[in-house]
Amino acid sequence: MKMAVQDGGGKDELKTQFITREGTYRLMTLSEYSRPNRVGYTNTQGSAAVRVSFVTLPDPSGNGDRICFNFGRELYVYVYKGVKKAADLTKPVDKKMYKGTNPTCHDFNMVTMTPDSVSLVVGFSTGQIQLIDPIKKELSKLYNEERLIDKTKVTCIRWVPGSTNLFLVSHSSGQLYLYNEELPCGTAPPHYQPFKQGDGFAIHTCKTKSTRNPLYRWVIGSEGCCINEFAFSPCGVHLAIVSQDGFLRVFHYDTMELLGSARSYFGGFLCVCWSPDGRYVVVGGEDDLVTVWSFQERRVVARGQGHRSWVSVVAFDPYTTSYSEPDSTVDFSGGSDDEGQPQIQHNHSTNPLHNCANAGGDRNSVSRNSAPGTVNQASNRNSSGSEFNRMTAATCYRLGSVGQDTQLCLWDITEDVLKQPMCTKLRTSGIGGSGSFSVNGSAAGNAYHMNSTGSGCTSRCNNVPAFLQTNVPNKDKDFVADGNVTNLHGSNLHNNSSSGSITGPSLTQRLAGLGFGDRKDGSGTHKRNFSLASRGGNVPSDKNNSSAPCRSGVAARSSSDDPMRLIGTGACPRFDECPVLEPLICKKIAHERLTALVFREDCFVTACQDGYVYTWARPGKMGLASHIPSSPTTVTAAAVGSGVGPGGTVV
Amino acid sequence: MGANISQLERDIGSDQFPPNEHYFGLVNFGNTCYSNSVLQALYFCKPFREKVLEYKARNKRTKETLLTCLADLFYSIATQKKKVGSIAPKKFIARLRKEKEEFDNYMQQDAHEFLNFLINHINEIILAERHQNNAKPKTGNGDPQTQQEPTWVHEIFQGILTSETRCLNCETVSSKDEDFFDLQVDVDQNTSITHCLKCFSNTETLCSDNKFKCDHCSSYQEAQKRMRVKKLPMILALHLKRFKYMEQYNRHIKVSHRVVFPLELRLFNTSDDAVNPDRLYDLVAVVIHCGSGPNRGHYISIVKSHGFWLLFDDDMVDKIDASTIEDFYGLTSDIQKSSETGYILFYQSRDCVQ
Repeated sequence: MKMAVQDGGGKDELKTQFITREGTYRLMTLSEYSRPNRVGYTNTQGSAAVRVSFVTLPDPSGNGDRICFNFGRELYVYVYKGVKKAADLTKPVDKKMYKGTNPTCHDFNMVTMTPDSVSLVVGFSTGQIQLIDPIKKELSKLYNEERLIDKTKVTCIRWVPGSTNLFLVSHSSGQLYLYNEELPCGTAPPHYQPFKQGDGFAIHTCKTKSTRNPLYRWVIGSEGCCINEFAFSPCGVHLAIVSQDGFLRVFHYDTMELLGSARSYFGGFLCVCWSPDGRYVVVGGEDDLVTVWSFQERRVVARGQGHRSWVSVVAFDPYTTSYSEPDSTVDFSGGSDDEGQPQIQHNHSTNPLHNCANAGGDRNSVSRNSAPGTVNQASNRNSSGSEFNRMTAATCYRLGSVGQDTQLCLWDITEDVLKQPMCTKLRTSGIGGSGSFSVNGSAAGNAYHMNSTGSGCTSRCNNVPAFLQTNVPNKDKDFVADGNVTNLHGSNLHNNSSSGSITGPSLTQRLAGLGFGDRKDGSGTHKRNFSLASRGGNVPSDKNNSSAPCRSGVAARSSSDDPMRLIGTGACPRFDECPVLEPLICKKIAHERLTALVFREDCFVTACQDGYVYTWARPGKMGLASHIPSSPTTVTAAAVGSGVGPGGTVV
Repeated sequence: MGANISQLERDIGSDQFPPNEHYFGLVNFGNTCYSNSVLQALYFCKPFREKVLEYKARNKRTKETLLTCLADLFYSIATQKKKVGSIAPKKFIARLRKEKEEFDNYMQQDAHEFLNFLINHINEIILAERHQNNAKPKTGNGDPQTQQEPTWVHEIFQGILTSETRCLNCETVSSKDEDFFDLQVDVDQNTSITHCLKCFSNTETLCSDNKFKCDHCSSYQEAQKRMRVKKLPMILALHLKRFKYMEQYNRHIKVSHRVVFPLELRLFNTSDDAVNPDRLYDLVAVVIHCGSGPNRGHYISIVKSHGFWLLFDDDMVDKIDASTIEDFYGLTSDIQKSSETGYILFYQSRDCVQ
């Protein structure tokens, strides 16, 4: 429905700039990175996703940024110049070409790096792992070389936060291994012994006299279910893993305890990231949704609907996320004391337009290099407690996502949405949803237009202020619905007098119609409609009566991985039981699937299946006259050749 | 061929081979791959197979219909001594050619048209037989499908769409239900089947030549209309409309757009009064069109059986890795002419398995 008013079908022009409330983002056409020899058309069907890793070396001259990306059988490392003209693509810092295998993922070690050396681990489609130093070039070690440990594709690789020598590798076999770069792998397949086991996972150690790789093997989910990505929390304590079985599992990394889990609405989860304050985990997947999971409550608190296909990358923008903390130069996780910012927080939430814009920009010491999960360790190790400290947390998170639909979505997620307890939508209209679409057709349409003209939060959040008025006083309780909320919104949106029912409007407005605890409400209509709406209505109603964190804790631990049983629980709310967010912006920015998204201080970076890495300048960060789209350099000329698929060159 | 067959058994592993399961290719009688691919997909829609075999068991001596031929074919596959091999659906094809003259030739046919014909035809056969056996016809009305008790074909494939129309003049909303055996969705480049289904239920405005006759206003008025799923079928068959008529070429061309389809699915486009809006589906079979246009090319199918995927290409059967399914999503660029793309998706509700 929302889609109806979205900008066109699949044939619309690519966006090279877009406006949000903080200003205009622009594609820096001269800042593209790709392989140096571009060919007109490459068949990218089936080849590995192009991933991007960054590192900022402690270079006194300030030119320490390096970018690494893979494309096909090749791996490139360049000096990264941000919004400025790209480095000479014919002069990479390092370039590797592999035979019979493709690099699939990579990660720089931020702990051991020096101005002239850095460790880069690279995973391959055939299961091997390589450790190289792209600067010094003398280092090259192979792990799982004979594929004795795992034969399947490496899907994600990360240095353990704060560690000089430990890295974690996931495979499409559904297994995750911990390696120590200093240890050998052994000449025979490893023998494992069980170490720890829990619901949906098992951890093994190697059964050998001498210590060897892998140190640990984690088996996640049912046999052979691909692990698609994992991410360490900013504090480095927790590990979030998403896999093809549609599960997010969050572990305490050191104790290997499963702390919580979530299930996709359907299909696999493909990507995962943590909010900069570690309080939320966001996942994207084959249900075309971004799903927000609260670490504290251990449940799904919101879903975002805006992509037209699978979501391949999610990433928070720490520079556009705003915090209630007055002095944000302080490490946000430093167990601090400011109970006392309710005013700002409140203020902020009632007027989302107001506050979000410029916080967070000075947090770069912490998250400068951060692909999610690779964060300066020292300041964070002891700070996990802060994840339970509500008042130091962000009040408006900026999230970005890219997907197979070639679109970029930005989302503003405000705390008040995230703090709503789980609830059930009122399915008021028994017959054919009469009346539901008056709201849908007009109001939803408007909402979207407002969004796209850049007025930011207003439309998407237009129900939020109302929520606040009703809800703020009894934040953590189930609200008695008494229909006020609904009516309020009904009148907000459309005066639907003819049928008197207001349900089933656009997904956003469903949010408005959420009837909190409506089962406590004596009203016959609600009851009747609830039972109409849900099969086996007893189960969810039981669940709803207990307090939220407890409920989802149970869901995470006791239930098997049967999605039929999880539906309606905190791990997988029914679609209308959970707030649905709409994107702030949703722009088609490529002709091919998007495979990477990294937020940096003055820009964000996207990569595309066709091997191009794009830099988008943040508002006011354009640099000197570097935005001249038609400049006939080799870079842009080549870009036209292969970047523009349909309607471009025909080979 | 022999080598291929034993290869399949080797791929699956003799200890892994599911008991009471047979993987038999179907011989091509000259462009009958449209039928072979659909038959294989239907055979691996378990509820359908079971009902057909049940029908076979109940109807020993009846006159030959397309349904008896189908039942014989399924029975013959299910009772083979060998685990794998190929079989010639000779009787079925002969009967098909008798039943419908469009299929009485050696031309390439549209697999979806065939599926549509087959399902409806089987349903009619069941209704007709019931009518014969049952001396008391319920109504003499010309629309038996909606008025009689549902057949097992209904139970398996039938869903209900509710079409809601809101007159923009008097604001009255009227809704009308209609049955479907499959949903036919338009395809957009770089989207998911989920998105295509959402678009299917987009609100459209009826205006100019296409106005809506409002009973309340007693005149033609502009109106908004949208179709949503009210009853979710046990097996959800989704037809991707990949053959578009292009006026400038005066023919149909194939739309190879990349449309991803997950192994699991729920619907977003359900109506407010849907009984089980969060019914969970599993992909069980896909009919795939290979080639550049509707009148040339080839149909194959992939099916899920006992946790692994098989590819049926006429008389050949191969075990494939689930990861190769992505080869059938389509193409992101229009440069290549030929493609192997998912054409009909069969999703089976998980709650019917238990």
